[in-house]
Amino acid sequence: MSSDQANYFAGTFDQKQLRRHILAMAKAGNAVHIGCSFSLVEILAVLHRDFLRYPGNDPEHPERDYLALSKGHGVMAQYACMLERGWLDDGHIAGYFSDGSALMGLSDSRIPGLEVTSGSLGHGFSVALGLALAAKRRGSGQRTFCIVGDGESNEGPIWEGALLAAQHKLRNFITIIDENGLQAMGSTSDIMDLGAMDAKFASFGFETAVVDGHDEAALHRVLTQFCQGQDPRPKALIAKTVKGKGVSFMDNNNAWHYSRLTDETFAQANHELEV
Amino acid sequence: MREVFSKFLVDLAKKDERFILLTGDHGYALFDALRRECPNQYLNCGVAEQNMVGVAAGLARGGFRPFVYGLAAFIPTRVVEQIKLDIAHDGLPVVLFGDGAGFVYSTLGTSHQCAEDMACSRAIAGLDVYSPCDDVEMAWALERAYAGQRPSYIRIGKADVGAVHGQPMGQDSAGLCPLAGASDQPLALVATGSMVALARDLAAEFPASMAAYSLPLIKPLPSAALAALAQRHRAIVTLEEHSVYGGMGSAVCEALSEAAPLPIKRVGIADRYSERCGSYAYLREEHGLTLAQVRAQVAAFGERLGLPLAA
Repeated sequence: MSSDQANYFAGTFDQKQLRRHILAMAKAGNAVHIGCSFSLVEILAVLHRDFLRYPGNDPEHPERDYLALSKGHGVMAQYACMLERGWLDDGHIAGYFSDGSALMGLSDSRIPGLEVTSGSLGHGFSVALGLALAAKRRGSGQRTFCIVGDGESNEGPIWEGALLAAQHKLRNFITIIDENGLQAMGSTSDIMDLGAMDAKFASFGFETAVVDGHDEAALHRVLTQFCQGQDPRPKALIAKTVKGKGVSFMDNNNAWHYSRLTDETFAQANHELEV
Repeated sequence: MREVFSKFLVDLAKKDERFILLTGDHGYALFDALRRECPNQYLNCGVAEQNMVGVAAGLARGGFRPFVYGLAAFIPTRVVEQIKLDIAHDGLPVVLFGDGAGFVYSTLGTSHQCAEDMACSRAIAGLDVYSPCDDVEMAWALERAYAGQRPSYIRIGKADVGAVHGQPMGQDSAGLCPLAGASDQPLALVATGSMVALARDLAAEFPASMAAYSLPLIKPLPSAALAALAQRHRAIVTLEEHSVYGGMGSAVCEALSEAAPLPIKRVGIADRYSERCGSYAYLREEHGLTLAQVRAQVAAFGERLGLPLAA
């Protein structure tokens, strides 16, 4: 346990701090997708604090666990965690979307810490499956965590991949569905009703659990069970989240899929996130 | 070509434990030897090509050397975006195979016939594209794609039109191969895949007028060798069992319009789908790609340029 413990990063990953980083990036870059990022904050905080093992805090270490952000639209939440890990610096935040800068508005695998190129949805899930399959074939204990949006789950490859994960009993593959109930143009129930995602994934052969995706203790409990349990099936954690969570006027307001911050909304949002 | 392919896979599986063959539930009998001798290096991903290509990318990122097999109508045509984003974007060493390109599935209609794969794959940045015509070119392409560790697509068209090369190609080949009798005749026939044997036979009828070349490397195109070829001849005819839009002929035009402009005629599949069902030979005729039809097209092209064909 103690040697394994050394592979975890001793960061706080405080949700308010992470959300302030996201706001700072979005303001600097005049960026959209703030709501998509806010729904992921607690999920990523728990993963980075207690489940993702990066020996030497090296995002490219060959024995690292994999975090695949198939829902690339939430990439600013991952950038915020990467900033806390020291993989990014304040210049990346202040220079977000500036000419010649490195960080894209969607997950890009050329950036250490981002394992997949996503944004065209349904891609990262399949690549993450390949990473999990590679780890299993090598006899490695590496875990693969893959974050998928509920809107993203309209895409066929998600379900193609779910079949393959179950067929090959990829117990080291842990997918987390960010089920915020909203997609770009409205509610998932109005556009493409997904029904009970836990029942869907269970029927595909996954061990499943449903938790409040903003309850860090609950997330921690289920992920511990997934990582330490003996069930041979791949895992699906259905995280019930709120798009725009954390700022009152963004909370469950789908306008913040596309809205950009003004000086006023930026100040107001930051005020709400003061400690 | 399929025997060479099958044997290469078995030999590679035994030599390189990182090798793994992925198929989208295609390749009946083609992988019998591999499944028998190296069953752990064969993965049937089911009828799910999009996911299969992403999984191959993940396996490559995790240290493996995936080869992905499908029909050309599906790999690469159905999964262009997965190849672009998941594989080529990161330069991953994944080798993709598109079997049955052109009119091989002559009786199955538009879904299985494929005139678009070279156009699709050529447009993907960082992806190499091969179109071998016989066992020798197939062996060359396989070895080059594996050793090069680059994202690669190998097109397999009609596979049993006979051997063209008498001896192995060196790995230093530029990927543009003069066939017997080629020197400085007025017309150069540049053919790829299933059209190479036809080009060879047509050139043999008019040895004073035509030289024939095989072009198995579509991308990166051997531009310098093509420019040198263009200096030796007065006009070029390209021949391919692929759309005349975006394929090998287009690639040759693009390269030579800058490097060594000269008249070029593209012989290939026109902008339409097959209208009728029938044998492979029947469909080649429906699309104007028999020896007699091509001879007439080339003769007319030569006449327009003041280069009448001469035996």
